Amino acid sequence: MEKVSVLFFPDNLIAHVEPGTSLLRAATLAGVELKSNCGGDGTCGRCLVKVKDGRVNVKSTGSISQRAKQAGLVLACQSTVNDNVVIDIPKDSRLDEHQVLLEEKDILMERDEDLAAGYDFKPLCRKVKLTLSEPSLTENVSDLNRLQAALRNEMECGDIHIGLHTLRGLADTLRTGDWRVTVTVTQLNGCADIVHLEPGHAEKPSYGLAIDIGTTTVVVYLLDLESGMTLGKKGTYNKQARYGDDVITRMIHASDDSGLNDLHLAVVNTINQLIDELLSQSHVSEDDVHIAVVAGNTTMTHLFLGLTPKYIRLEPYIPLASVTPPVKAEELGLKINPSAYVACFPSVASYVGGDIVSGTLITNMAKAEEIVLFIDIGTNGEMVLGNQDWLVSVSCSAGPAFEGGGITFGMRAMKGAIEYVRIDSETFEVEVSTIGKSRAMGICGSGLIDCLAKFRDVGIIDRAGKLQTDINTPRMREGDDGWEFVLVWGDVTECGKDIIITENDIKNLLRAKGAVYAGIRSMLKAVQLEEEMIDKVLIAGGFGNYINIRDAITIGLFPDLPPEKYVFIGNSSVKGARLALLSQDAYREAQELGKKMTYLELSVGNDFMDEFVSALFLPHTDMSLFPSVVANNDQKGE
Amino acid sequence: MAFNAVKEKYRSKVGEVVLGATKEQGGTRAYTITVGGEAALPFLHFEGDIPNRPVVALEIWDVEPTDWNDCFKPFYADVWNDPAAWAKKCVEEFGADLIVLRFKGADPDIKDASPEDCAKVVKDVLAAVGCPLVVIGCGKPEKDNLVLPLVAETAAGENLLLGVAEQDNYKSLTAACMVHKHNIIAQSPIDINICKQLNILITDMNLPANRIVIDPTIAALGYGVEYGYSIMERARNGALQGDNMLGMPMIGNVGFEVWRTKEANASAADFPAWGEQETRGILWEATTAMALLQAGIDVVVMRHPKAATLIKQNIEELMVKTSFDE
Amino acid sequence: MGLTGLDIFKQLPKTNTGDCGFPTCLAFAMAMAAGKASLDKCPHVTEEAKETLGAAAAPPIKLVKVGTGDTVVELGDETELFRHDKRFYHPTAIAVAIKDTEDVAAKVANFNELEFDRVGLHYVTDMVALTNASGDAAKFKAAAEAVVAGTKKPFILISEDVAALEAAASAVADSKPLLYAATNDNYEAMTALAQKYSCPLAVKGNGLADLSELVEKITKLGYKDLVLDSGNRETSQVLADLTQIRRSAIRKRFRPFGYPTMAFTTKEDAMEEIVQAGVYLSKYAGIVVLKADKKENLLPLESWRQNLFTDPQKPIQVEPKAVAIGDVTPDSPVYITTNFSLTYYIVEGEVEGSKVPSYIVPVNTDGISVLTAWAAGKLTGESIAKALQINDMESKVNHKTLVLPGYVAVLSGSTEEATGWNIKVGPREASGITKFAKENFAK
Repeated sequence: MEKVSVLFFPDNLIAHVEPGTSLLRAATLAGVELKSNCGGDGTCGRCLVKVKDGRVNVKSTGSISQRAKQAGLVLACQSTVNDNVVIDIPKDSRLDEHQVLLEEKDILMERDEDLAAGYDFKPLCRKVKLTLSEPSLTENVSDLNRLQAALRNEMECGDIHIGLHTLRGLADTLRTGDWRVTVTVTQLNGCADIVHLEPGHAEKPSYGLAIDIGTTTVVVYLLDLESGMTLGKKGTYNKQARYGDDVITRMIHASDDSGLNDLHLAVVNTINQLIDELLSQSHVSEDDVHIAVVAGNTTMTHLFLGLTPKYIRLEPYIPLASVTPPVKAEELGLKINPSAYVACFPSVASYVGGDIVSGTLITNMAKAEEIVLFIDIGTNGEMVLGNQDWLVSVSCSAGPAFEGGGITFGMRAMKGAIEYVRIDSETFEVEVSTIGKSRAMGICGSGLIDCLAKFRDVGIIDRAGKLQTDINTPRMREGDDGWEFVLVWGDVTECGKDIIITENDIKNLLRAKGAVYAGIRSMLKAVQLEEEMIDKVLIAGGFGNYINIRDAITIGLFPDLPPEKYVFIGNSSVKGARLALLSQDAYREAQELGKKMTYLELSVGNDFMDEFVSALFLPHTDMSLFPSVVANNDQKGE
Repeated sequence: MAFNAVKEKYRSKVGEVVLGATKEQGGTRAYTITVGGEAALPFLHFEGDIPNRPVVALEIWDVEPTDWNDCFKPFYADVWNDPAAWAKKCVEEFGADLIVLRFKGADPDIKDASPEDCAKVVKDVLAAVGCPLVVIGCGKPEKDNLVLPLVAETAAGENLLLGVAEQDNYKSLTAACMVHKHNIIAQSPIDINICKQLNILITDMNLPANRIVIDPTIAALGYGVEYGYSIMERARNGALQGDNMLGMPMIGNVGFEVWRTKEANASAADFPAWGEQETRGILWEATTAMALLQAGIDVVVMRHPKAATLIKQNIEELMVKTSFDE
Repeated sequence: MGLTGLDIFKQLPKTNTGDCGFPTCLAFAMAMAAGKASLDKCPHVTEEAKETLGAAAAPPIKLVKVGTGDTVVELGDETELFRHDKRFYHPTAIAVAIKDTEDVAAKVANFNELEFDRVGLHYVTDMVALTNASGDAAKFKAAAEAVVAGTKKPFILISEDVAALEAAASAVADSKPLLYAATNDNYEAMTALAQKYSCPLAVKGNGLADLSELVEKITKLGYKDLVLDSGNRETSQVLADLTQIRRSAIRKRFRPFGYPTMAFTTKEDAMEEIVQAGVYLSKYAGIVVLKADKKENLLPLESWRQNLFTDPQKPIQVEPKAVAIGDVTPDSPVYITTNFSLTYYIVEGEVEGSKVPSYIVPVNTDGISVLTAWAAGKLTGESIAKALQINDMESKVNHKTLVLPGYVAVLSGSTEEATGWNIKVGPREASGITKFAKENFAK
């Protein structure tokens, strides 16, 4: 049967589904999460959506109000599709809005709104429909000149390049289309490059990919470059993981050619798999994808391009290249149009890569008058500080704790991950909430931050992070790895095991948060600025759907600044890549950023180590840096 | 351009800790000793008050030391099998301001003296001398957690200085000091942050800050004394600038560290290029102490009577007031 | 106070050309603020910026040299009050006093012997301080010549009698001795003398207020190769004076005190002298003059000098030497860790706590921790093999099994290959050692 398409607004996400599929299911396929407390039984009345265009079959209206009905709202779980439809999702129906949590202060939801205002929509690649004048004996310039002249007429461009492969087909294509031709033009650095020719005036737009290669996960966005719409988002684990969880192990594996090839292929395969899924979901053909912009840390970029990262690891930490030339997809084996350009973001230094340049781009901090601090917490904590005049960056090895790594029950922010914790200060009874409201499987970064803060708050740990073994609750017990605290009893978890936090888990978390904060302090010290002088803090990272800023400050992860100065921007790396894909100016800005950022090497001298040890305490050894935490404690003491 | 003395404006001063208790105060000491209270960097009288001079302690053991250099024999051989007599000689003949009693013999690998034995030694020493007493365990946490609480109980009211509390083992000693009203030595491994963290943990248990003496761990001259020196200098600067959790007096085991070194012990026969041994050893100890005094140490724990005398004299000279005011 | 990196950055062209050798203008500015780069490296800087930045970049304390050639002593050019803030650069020169009434040649010969080898370092006693105790110009001159004949090291000529000093200086001026001292009574003649022979000149005041005025008078005469002596001799006051001179120069940029200093001991007893000299050496004296001239006296003092003037930015390291914990036997286990002191001491504490006598072999990783060292390629199969070898572990134990830190379990293969030893992977955290030792090594 022919599939039908369901377009969800305001996300611009499309699902192609069999007729008869429920809107709830279609939404899940498109990557939109709706509330559904009853699990699709039509009883909770939470998955309300509005049909904007087209028709749906409504099986039941459940208990929805008259007013909702009049407003055109239907229950997504009780409505099926037969034709193409356009659906509008009200804010209240979204799962990721965390309605419950929003009632509390200091909880920051991921913000995706116009962070990068001020860039014109000028995609790196687009299709131009040209109608050429037919040649004659008197008007006898070559086909190529004719094409170039017509293109110049149509768009602003300097030199026009064309590859040999494309050029070979030019004569016939022009004539097949009766001098009407669609030219796919890529404009990376001013000059235009004709990467594809189609006879006649093509219907289909040009597509592009924004790719974020993380050490742990890879995320790909598929974009329609005509409309700028994001057609789909997919992410998965980086297949390089089989060669080691961390960057260092992978670098060691890549020290010889065959190892390098292993890692190169692993990441290309990871991306190709995501491309496959995205293309088939959106019914786009490989050949119609004409460009990809890639943001990754320096090592990932090296491995993706098959460049040896060997010397990044060794003093004095020198990358093979920080700026890499755009290459053709076929050279990398990427499954898109072979002559499509693949452009990687430049890196700043061995441990501050294109992902951070990309994040810095999306934060717009290089255009700000105020002083902005940008923190990206991944396996490494990377920080950028500055404004329109100057930018400094540092990298510190935070470890993967906030992504769930190295924590007994740590996990990525997916369904079943505990993201929120409450603990009774008398009984030490625990209440958790999980992503997707399902049975708990583990704890994600947001949940771990929460745990640490609440543990300290009710006295489960002391300021050094040591479990207080004398508290009166069966949840405190001695396990295989020393003392541990039971967060969720096994009878209500997905895996059937007790979900615990051990003393070593806490140590790992302290190290991770200590490294991040020490990085911030070292950076401020290097430019001789005080925390108060920071006007705005942008947080990026994969710890969850939200971050509780108050908790993050309570544990000393972030500086003690008013919560209103903080913004949580989620995966900034892929968003920066998307922006560059849609704006030539943004792409150029990213190239500039790579050069403009000053990298500070934290391994020189003792300052970082000193800051680090002083941050291995809750919130910090120097309490005067956390006045609001002290004030809060004092209040409780009274 | 006329000269005007540069005087630092400090926000705070070092806290004072009183050691020992007289009869009126519930103890049996002939006098108490107050350490700390500095409102200036070491011996810079012109910029602030230095109410108490640093004090010099001599270290004695509960067992006869077998591995001390022969140069100690003329001083201690007649008394070192009797801690009480040893303590008395240190105070009366060698002018020690106070006594540090180290329970080397409690070490399970040495004599494994019982907590009761240790408590008795403390009683004997207290009866023999009138000065305040510092008691240090054998350094093995499990044993010290048995010995020190009993010592604390036995000597209740004497306002001892008891040590050592470490980051991983501070609770039982802190509790003992709380209950029996003693002072505590908070020892950290040459790290100013851990030093501070330990003070926070101890005060979080409600032992007041003015009952804590910091031991930031020092090494001997030539073996990293400069690290301890810088930690002390930083701690003292921090204290003066208002960081209360660094604002405690400081103690250092100079004699113990120095007399483990080759430079203090090696004979001139073995190392002719280093000169005569005893003078070299005494100066190795005195130089270590001198350096730490310049960094802010308040209680210098020494071993060689001659080195102690040199340092007492140095302290006396450095306590002469200076001023740049007309 | 010096300018911050951002202050300097504002004066730079901000074009990030990289022509200075730094990747960005900000990186260059920060290096300048740290005293690690000079403005002339930037070809694009404006004249105006040069002027603004030039004054700020001048060192607070002048560098003064005494002597010539390899043994030249450099004094001053310090930027800090506390070594932990950055470091002290020019170690205090130790000068041994010799009177012109003594057997100068014999004394100088003895002085030449005052050098030491310790922990791979060579300590030097730097200078002779020749005093004109005789009051006789000819004798002083002869003595000065004897010093030059006896040693290549720099020296100080001490006499407030201009004629005597001139007699000696004229004979040995090529050695660039320090002339001591210009006072209120003789400064014009002394300055002329120093100028004539271009020798550095000591200035002796009568307290700091007087000293500052005297220095200004001398600098007005156009001479600036100066070394300062407050004239006080009581330990406590000298400490205060040396501190004030250093503070005024660095904190207030008080120009009259922007010179290195010198101090004299007063004690007759050599041991007391060393303690007194130690105080001055600790707190900023450029030169300490003392009489003690025996090895057992000077070795401790020079060891302290060596310690004090090390770079505190280097991580604290332990010696990469195998350590026996407890009563080890040839059966005792062998633990591998790094020579970063914190790491080492944590491991040591836990191994001690395990009550299983063991060896710990700290691998030289330049003082960085296990994971960092592994990441930077400093903890490898090869570096472990080298550590086993230099510590001769094969002869210390009768087995060939080592315990590798759990965090670097990945090194098992390469370590086995490089060492030929069997690998037992230990716990990741040191806190697991007790349990690990019980399970694996308990009898």
